[in-house]
Amino acid sequence: MTERVTEQLVVGDVVADHMYWITRENLVRYAGASGDFNPIHWNERVAKSVGLPGVIAHGMLTMALAGRLLTDWLGDPAAVVEYGVRFARPVVVPDDDVGVAVRVAAAVTDVRDDGLVALELTVKVDEQKVLTQARALCRLPADRPSQP
Amino acid sequence: MPIDPSIVGRVYPPQIYEVSREKIREFAEAIGDANPAYVDTAAARGYGHADVVAPPTFVMIPVMNGFDLLMKDLGIEFARVVHVDQRFTYSQPLPVGSRVEATTRLDGVRAVAGNDLLKIRTEVRGEDGSDICLSEATLLVRPEDSDGGDASD
Repeated sequence: MTERVTEQLVVGDVVADHMYWITRENLVRYAGASGDFNPIHWNERVAKSVGLPGVIAHGMLTMALAGRLLTDWLGDPAAVVEYGVRFARPVVVPDDDVGVAVRVAAAVTDVRDDGLVALELTVKVDEQKVLTQARALCRLPADRPSQP
Repeated sequence: MPIDPSIVGRVYPPQIYEVSREKIREFAEAIGDANPAYVDTAAARGYGHADVVAPPTFVMIPVMNGFDLLMKDLGIEFARVVHVDQRFTYSQPLPVGSRVEATTRLDGVRAVAGNDLLKIRTEVRGEDGSDICLSEATLLVRPEDSDGGDASD
């Protein structure tokens, strides 16, 4: 993990790419952990009554999964200095055991003199972007205290 | 009824939130994140932190407490609200076992196609007043009589 990060990064490098799955069970767990009990995230009837195709994932859960790609890559979760997204499209979560696949990739957009690296995240379901303007600024390992 | 723009600049009383080890563990498990820095003090110390740290989006929990206040004040039910964007700027990790204060400010209101767009700024600070995280969010509020439309969060 650490070796990959300390390698010389170049703009355009895709530093991480991963598929995450979201099931209805994940939504229930996220609702409990985050305190966001909006019924559109667990109740099909309510979701449809407000014009949604079905139960949808919390936008913040999708943002958290895309953030996981960064923290898995960095090792230190606190190495993320800035992180922002736009919730462009709802992520519909089917009522089955498989769930919906969210593909997340992170590419370098800037390597700064102060040791910070800017990344753009691509977050897609079925080849359509569900998050846009998904950007992060991260501190690289060389810039932080040594690991054990 | 559109939201009165004269309320822009309103600041809500700081909300106290106590950061607990167990809540961080629960949140990390809920997002399926096995990073040891969330649960193992030694692992977090290896990165130079005093104690375990929280996942980057964990801070949304105290931020949401401020959103709740604002919604109540403006008479908005959450079913009408869509989260449009969210951005965090981190100054330092959330200190486990201590209390933080989240202060919410309504930064802007704009009417767009019958909806209201709210810009909300939340400053999360430590007990000593030091900056921990700045949250900037946009929420879309659909009109009261609407059902249907494009709710996405």
